[in-house]
Amino acid sequence: MSLLDRLGRGHLSDSQFAELWTAGAAHPHLDACPQCRAGYEAFGAWLSGVGSELRAEADDAFPADRLALQQAQIARRLEALERPARVIPFPRAARAIISGNSHVRRWVSVAAGAALIAGFGLGQVYPIRTVLREGSAQTTAHFTAPVAASRARDLTPPPSNETDDEMLSDAFAQPRVSTLSALDEMTPHARDLAK
Amino acid sequence: MAGTSPALVAAREADAGAASAVKALQAAGQLEDARERYAELVKRHQRRAARIAYHYLRDAAEADEAVQDAFVKAYQHLASFREELPFDVWFTRILINGCLDRIKARTRRERWLLPMSGRPGSRGSAATAAATDGAPPERDLTDRVPAGGLSPEQALLGRERRRAIAAALANLPERQRSVFVLSHVEGRTSKEVSALTGLNESTVRVHLFRAIRKLRALLAGDNAAAGAAEPKGQRRVTS
Repeated sequence: MSLLDRLGRGHLSDSQFAELWTAGAAHPHLDACPQCRAGYEAFGAWLSGVGSELRAEADDAFPADRLALQQAQIARRLEALERPARVIPFPRAARAIISGNSHVRRWVSVAAGAALIAGFGLGQVYPIRTVLREGSAQTTAHFTAPVAASRARDLTPPPSNETDDEMLSDAFAQPRVSTLSALDEMTPHARDLAK
Repeated sequence: MAGTSPALVAAREADAGAASAVKALQAAGQLEDARERYAELVKRHQRRAARIAYHYLRDAAEADEAVQDAFVKAYQHLASFREELPFDVWFTRILINGCLDRIKARTRRERWLLPMSGRPGSRGSAATAAATDGAPPERDLTDRVPAGGLSPEQALLGRERRRAIAAALANLPERQRSVFVLSHVEGRTSKEVSALTGLNESTVRVHLFRAIRKLRALLAGDNAAAGAAEPKGQRRVTS
């Protein structure tokens, strides 16, 4: 059933008014029937009334002063678009630490890393720890021998007819560090044997 | 539905001229002059943009932000504007897309903040709540309607009518609402609404028809009340 047929049978309904209004179409029934024509005009008035009420509501929400403020804000934002972004240093101390010549910093970091790796590799290849230990032992022996000898001379009792055995037994009976040092000098060391 | 009037044609020519001038100034690096010239376009389209954004978002503060964003975005992308298309159509499309993005973001927010959104008068649901529950919305902008020579009773009735229309409009589905607003609040033709929304022209007509029918049904009670209150000779079929 076409729209024309439906419209031709009786008075137009609201839904049909809406359909005609939306399509922007004219219908002969509207010319023939004053009641429907009045209804259609009222429908149009209602629609335009709704539109104007909605417009008024939005205009109340945006009075002139608000629009002026909005315009100023838009202008400010457009102006800000053209300025490069400014980074504020915060905290100030952090900037001093972080900033600086990054080229130098990079080289220092690389050198420190390389030195660490080289040291580790060298330590693995060359038994530097053993060498150091030996060196220190020899140095100790070198320096302690004359001192110990002189101290032993000072502390030993005046020469008598006693034998070395008696001296030893005397030394053991009176344990003193200097005496023991002299004894230590006389006895072979385990580290020397291991060598 | 409104056609393309000579005034609208003249306004569009002025817009096209201003937009071209701003583009040229931007290209020449005369940014201050470009901004000044663009301010003319802002002034000319600001109110219309505010209306559209307000009816999309139903929140004045958010609509304000959406309008600002749209103008800034349009200025930034003015180089991509083609003169054969009216500036207002191009700009309104930017604005509508921005509003739709905001609606999506709001929906996501409200999904996660469900207890907050259930509050009476919460943003976005105010008009709907008023329509469904009869509770007054928290931010009723119609309260600020100036009385302007009306009697208190008339002013009150006017407020009630606006509130009812706003609530009915808020009850429409999103597409129907946007098509109705563009057609009947902004006076756009179906072809223009089609260009603005990206919908087919026949789809626009269908949405518009459904929107009108639904609004008519929603406001039927108000119509009857208004009809009973007004004398027959002055009867105006508004809600």
